[in-house]
Amino acid sequence: MNFRKQFFEGLLTKNPVTVQLLGMCSTLAITTSLFNGLGMGISVTIILICSNVLISALRRVIPSQIRIAAYIVIIAGFVTIVDLLLQAFLPELSQSLGVFIPLIVVNCIILGRAEAFASKNGVLASAVDGLCQGIGYTVALVVMSVLRELLGSGTFGGGLLGGGQGYTVIPDPYPAMKIVMPVGGFLTLGVVIAFSQWLVARIEKKNKKKEAAKV
Amino acid sequence: MTKKATALYVLRLSLTLFLITALVAAALAGVNGITAPRIAAEKERKTQAAIEKVLPGGGTLVDPGSYDNQGGLVSRVFASDAGYAVEVAPTGFDGAITMMVGVSRDGKVLDISIISHTETAGLGAVAAADTPDGESFRAQFRGLSGELSVKKDGGTVDQLSGATVTSRGVTRGVSAALKCVASLG
Amino acid sequence: MTTYVQTLLGILISALLTENFILVKFYGICPFMGVSKKIDTALGMGMAVTFVMAIASAACWAVYNLILVKLNLQYMQTVAFILVIAAIVQVVEMFLKKAVPSLYKALGIYLPLITTNCAVLGAALVNVQKGYDFLQSVFFGACGGLGFTLAIVLFASVRERVEKADCPACFKGFPITLISAGLLALAFMGFSGLKLF
Repeated sequence: MNFRKQFFEGLLTKNPVTVQLLGMCSTLAITTSLFNGLGMGISVTIILICSNVLISALRRVIPSQIRIAAYIVIIAGFVTIVDLLLQAFLPELSQSLGVFIPLIVVNCIILGRAEAFASKNGVLASAVDGLCQGIGYTVALVVMSVLRELLGSGTFGGGLLGGGQGYTVIPDPYPAMKIVMPVGGFLTLGVVIAFSQWLVARIEKKNKKKEAAKV
Repeated sequence: MTKKATALYVLRLSLTLFLITALVAAALAGVNGITAPRIAAEKERKTQAAIEKVLPGGGTLVDPGSYDNQGGLVSRVFASDAGYAVEVAPTGFDGAITMMVGVSRDGKVLDISIISHTETAGLGAVAAADTPDGESFRAQFRGLSGELSVKKDGGTVDQLSGATVTSRGVTRGVSAALKCVASLG
Repeated sequence: MTTYVQTLLGILISALLTENFILVKFYGICPFMGVSKKIDTALGMGMAVTFVMAIASAACWAVYNLILVKLNLQYMQTVAFILVIAAIVQVVEMFLKKAVPSLYKALGIYLPLITTNCAVLGAALVNVQKGYDFLQSVFFGACGGLGFTLAIVLFASVRERVEKADCPACFKGFPITLISAGLLALAFMGFSGLKLF
């Protein structure tokens, strides 16, 4: 198994958010503090691993005509389990993510990976795929959250560090409040994707040079 | 494919899907069994915190006996030496606003606390927020009694700017709580 | 009675403008980005979503209030709703194909995409969260769909021009599209102080 390649793909070259442009609803909506971004990222990663494993294990049992329906039911099951667990054990997170927890069901990343990977590969490989894609998703969310929180509320680590308030970096009248509002979501994601496109282009250029040197 | 084989195949498809759904449902029932008591306890803790806030130092809470629920607006009433805590759920701009109203023995508002709501962020949500605007909106109810209404409707309560309907809802809730306590005698 | 009409009007204004499904609530971003390259396809998608959302809101309301609540199975809502929505999309597709072929021709290709459109599930979940009654739920679904249509059609007309614009290489494609969407969202924020009464 080339774990390194899968990891690198999930993180950058095939990152679910910045390259595949999947699951953008939650990416835009909840990335207003580190707590939210990290919480959402971890929830999705757990669901992604579980659904990938189960779907991969059942891939010979489920007839292809009803596979999408079966996947959706399985995914909805895991999402509800995570939803209930969050409500019971992390009520603050559940409150601030609100309806976006059950909406993970229609997050295209999970159905996308089920269809593109788990339905064709073994259990272990699917688990690793879920983990790598999940990490890629989480990293993208955390980057978005940190940027938006810093520029919009002027704090770092809100809901998590510094007694739940986060550490103030930019004092009160200066943060651009619009960045934590919907507008900021679009703008920040645009800039983050632009940066990742630039990074990917640079790496590809380097690889080409290396290959050219080899020849 | 013969007709019989097709029917069998459809049966197999439905059965597989049914089995998967049944398994998921069973798993969910199991998880729900573990989480439901905790979710209920968390909700109860929030209610208790709200009572604590609107009825400070109230001592032990008792059931006040029968009361007029104001056309379903009042969901629960707790009584103590200091007064009553009334849980009301009036409709705001956007769905129900669940809130706790503390009422003294002589029928005046002690304090109010909003437990849950789905009002618009930045407008109606200010009513429940821990901001100076939200604090002063809620604080103005202290000491009021009788039939209340917002200034726009000729009353005394300052409505939140851009959120008249929310303010009206909260005011209606407080009024209902006062009337409910009056019905206790 | 007046308060009931007020509530409905409130739902209309908030679903259409102040809490626009796409630009403020972020439900249904995937089709918003995917099917907004041309105005006429955007309009087709918007109408299809509006249609399905109104029906799905009604069906999910019925399933939740008449079945799940009665059986004390509220925790099954997500699973039940997504199944209901998937089934509705299938039925609507088959029905249109047989009964209204002209409409099917116009909307048909968008229908399968709608199952995984979070606007539809989102509307169903919000209806439960806010405790809307049957009429309010259907109204919310339809208005949410119209809000979706409004945003996607406006955005498609912006995008037709952005495609031709000259911008830095790394911003080509989605980044510049997202930034244009951001500006549209900024414009919609102007509605946020809007009050009716």
